[in-house]
Amino acid sequence: MSRWVIKGIRTGIVTTRYPEKKEETPGTSPGLPEQVTGIAPENRETESRCPTGALSREKNRLNLRQERCIHCFRCSRGTENPIPWKNGFEWAEIRNPEAVVPASLRHSLHIRVVDAGDCGACLNEIKLLNNPYYNMHRLGFFITPTPRQADILLVAGPVAEHMKTPLLKAYEAMPAPKRVMAVGACALNGGVFGPGFVTGSGVADILPVDIEIPGCPPPPLAILHGLCLIAGQLKNEPNAATGTRKGEK
Amino acid sequence: MPGIETLLIGTLSLYTAGIAAAFLLPKEKTPVLPALFGGTGSLLLLFTGIKSFLPPETFHAALWTVPGIGTLTVSIDTLSAFFLVVTAIAAIPASVFAATRLKQTRWQHPEVAAALYLGLLISLTIVIIASHVFLFLIAWESMSIIIYLLISSDNNERPGYLMLSIGEAGTLAITAAFLLLSANTGSLSFAIIKTGAASLGPGVQWAVFLLVFFGFSVKGGLIPLNFWMPGAYTAAPAAFIPLIAGATLNMALYGIIRVTGSLLPIPHAGPGIIMLIVGSATALIGILYATIEDDFKTLLAHSSIENAGIIIAALGAGSVFLAKGHLAAASIAFAAALYHLLNHSVFKTLLFMGAGAVEDKTGTRSLDRMGGLLKHMPWTGLFVLIGALSIAAMPPFNGFVSEWLTLQALLRSVELSSPGIKLAFVAAGVGLTLTAGLAVTCFVRAFAMGFLGMSRSDSASAAKETGKPALLSMAGLAVFCLALGILPTYVIPALNKTIRPLTGASATTALVPGFFRPQGKLPEAFVNDFHKLGAQIGKNSMPGRGLAVLHRGGTKNPVVFAMSTFYMFITLIILLGLTAGLVRLFAGRRRKIRQPRWDGGVRKLLPEMTYTATGFAHPVRVIFESILRPKVVERKDTIAEHFRVTIRQKRNEIHLIDRMVLNPLDSAAHRIARTLAKMHNGRINTYAGYALLALIVFLAIASII
Ligand code: SF4
Repeated sequence: MSRWVIKGIRTGIVTTRYPEKKEETPGTSPGLPEQVTGIAPENRETESRCPTGALSREKNRLNLRQERCIHCFRCSRGTENPIPWKNGFEWAEIRNPEAVVPASLRHSLHIRVVDAGDCGACLNEIKLLNNPYYNMHRLGFFITPTPRQADILLVAGPVAEHMKTPLLKAYEAMPAPKRVMAVGACALNGGVFGPGFVTGSGVADILPVDIEIPGCPPPPLAILHGLCLIAGQLKNEPNAATGTRKGEK
Repeated sequence: MPGIETLLIGTLSLYTAGIAAAFLLPKEKTPVLPALFGGTGSLLLLFTGIKSFLPPETFHAALWTVPGIGTLTVSIDTLSAFFLVVTAIAAIPASVFAATRLKQTRWQHPEVAAALYLGLLISLTIVIIASHVFLFLIAWESMSIIIYLLISSDNNERPGYLMLSIGEAGTLAITAAFLLLSANTGSLSFAIIKTGAASLGPGVQWAVFLLVFFGFSVKGGLIPLNFWMPGAYTAAPAAFIPLIAGATLNMALYGIIRVTGSLLPIPHAGPGIIMLIVGSATALIGILYATIEDDFKTLLAHSSIENAGIIIAALGAGSVFLAKGHLAAASIAFAAALYHLLNHSVFKTLLFMGAGAVEDKTGTRSLDRMGGLLKHMPWTGLFVLIGALSIAAMPPFNGFVSEWLTLQALLRSVELSSPGIKLAFVAAGVGLTLTAGLAVTCFVRAFAMGFLGMSRSDSASAAKETGKPALLSMAGLAVFCLALGILPTYVIPALNKTIRPLTGASATTALVPGFFRPQGKLPEAFVNDFHKLGAQIGKNSMPGRGLAVLHRGGTKNPVVFAMSTFYMFITLIILLGLTAGLVRLFAGRRRKIRQPRWDGGVRKLLPEMTYTATGFAHPVRVIFESILRPKVVERKDTIAEHFRVTIRQKRNEIHLIDRMVLNPLDSAAHRIARTLAKMHNGRINTYAGYALLALIVFLAIASII
């Protein structure tokens, strides 16, 4: 017998227990800055360090738009007024509560992934969902090559000009009810590419988005959390504070 | 109904009248003759065959006496009757089809073509009914020559020559076998040979079997003598190929059955084993090359080889069972062989008509250049689909029944005692199962690449539906495909009349036992065997002739093998109806959304992007690479060194038989000729020397003797 069988048995089960149990292994998520609550410092240093405009000033207060954040740590490291950092990954937000899968069908969902011009980072994370650690199959999520069988259209990237048609075609080819999941900062608002002559400003421009997952890229667990939410396997507990939404069976 | 004699004379005189009319009528009118005279003549032939099945079952007539040869006789026993029926079933639609094609294509001499076609029908009839060696050989030879002429009528001479030369070798072997038989029995008449053959020594029996098997397998397309077939079938004009493929191939099988089954049943298992192994190998190699073939007609030719292989394998199994005394199993095997022969005639004629119609309307035979024809030729497509499903042995069509029977017959080998024979059966069974699987691939591909998807050439997208008469003849055969598929319990008793004289046992009792027939009381033994309740329910729920084919194994395998395509068909219809009904019930009033098919999101799906027949067959090519041994020729176009523009690959598969038999023989012949050619050095002195040498040698021999 090959060595890998023995090795596999020795290694045992490595798969995460999320969402049954809390996942707190260090390194599974870069985290996000915490939502700032106090009065913003006068010198405007903090928000000027943010490269994506995720931090902005609104009437003496700092406001964090987490969907723009790319976890660059510039606002929390090497600055006089560091913003507290929050670990965790449960960032997904449902835009259309009606899209949540009814209870009887939530344990088998097929996903068609469309790369609408992403840089490869988000796709990499999506790919990781299939590996032994995250193993999305255990929760009943499957990648399908054809949108005809897909329940969820998972889009990454800012929707580049040339991917507009294929994306629309894929959406049209899906059977109703169609659920659209935008993954990553680019898919939410154009991200670091931003709207331009070849890239759009996110999926919402051309398709109705049902669930958004911020992050650049969102770690696999964040995507998994989003999938669990849209599948109705987890309840969405709206909480204004970033990254503190707690998963529940 | 008039007597057999009247019917037979009617048939032959209609054919002959057709030939006469071909030369008397003006040229433009001649294309209709095959339909007019060939069709009606074949109809009479069908009645002749059916009538000969009825008691007293044997028709015998002496024609005339030839000095030195004896009285030429014809006779129709049930074996001949079966082949008459099969020939007629193929010939009636084939004649109509031939007429339509003769009309459409611009023949230089349509009258000659029509006359040749009718001549072929005459020689086919006589081959079947001849009961005298001389008459048989004459008819056989004229059949070969007419086929040669028909094949070469398209100005393509090589395939015809190849067929004729190897065919002559076959005829020579057949003649030798018959002469051997008649020398040992003292007569050229089949009847006397039959009574005298039993006392022949094993050496003569073996010699006769081998010669006959060799001789007939040339026409039958068994390995290694089938290298002429793909080329010849492809070269044959579309007007005639349905008849050639559907009826003349059977003649080879008729010859083999006539000699090994009726004239000279060999009382040991050897010949059967040879037939079994050769048959299954032929089937496998045939279907393998069919699966990778791009030319529709050549594909069908390879598939004919495959089907001949299956039939021969079943026959072989039957003769082994017969030699070993398992009469019921032998009857099943023979039933399988004859059933498959009948089926093959029906669906191969149908498919060749389809290929002819497609070639006519698209101008191509290449599957790679077809596609999407279903839109343009819906009826042709439907009939070709039925033919393809039948030949791929899909229930409820006829191919399924006979392949099921064949494999079942092979499974019965557990009842045999010799392990060597069992091993041969296992090998053959594995080969045939693989064949059945590949046949599905092959015909899914043939239909899908021809008729589905997008048109991959301009001519394919401009195709039009073929004419009504051609469609009608295809429809008739398609109906036959279904009828033979769902009513096997009515076909087997008819076949049984042919099988009983060969095996001495009844296939009907083995396959369609009386227990499932409603009339009469159940035999006590059956009720006990099948459990009272089961037998009663079975009896009461089965109308007609039971409509289930079933047979019981022997003591070593006490199981019942059962199959009912009829009920399968009924269930299929009920399920389809139910599904449609349920869909209508639950979703009928819902909004329907129609969206274009998913094409991967490309801006425009071009035909070049879709699957081709070559691409579809690629996995098969890769898996069987060690058999196919493709030669890949790569051509690279470069602008400058290391800067390639295109890389073109051309794969060339030389057929296994060509590679292993024909080409070595060819090069050996050349080598011998080269060696001998050294004698001819062109100098007059040398030739004078040869003459002198010959003189001396002859004088020396003469003086010694
Ligand atoms: S981590 Fe970087 S992108 Fe995110 S808020 Fe801070 S500065 Fe902006």
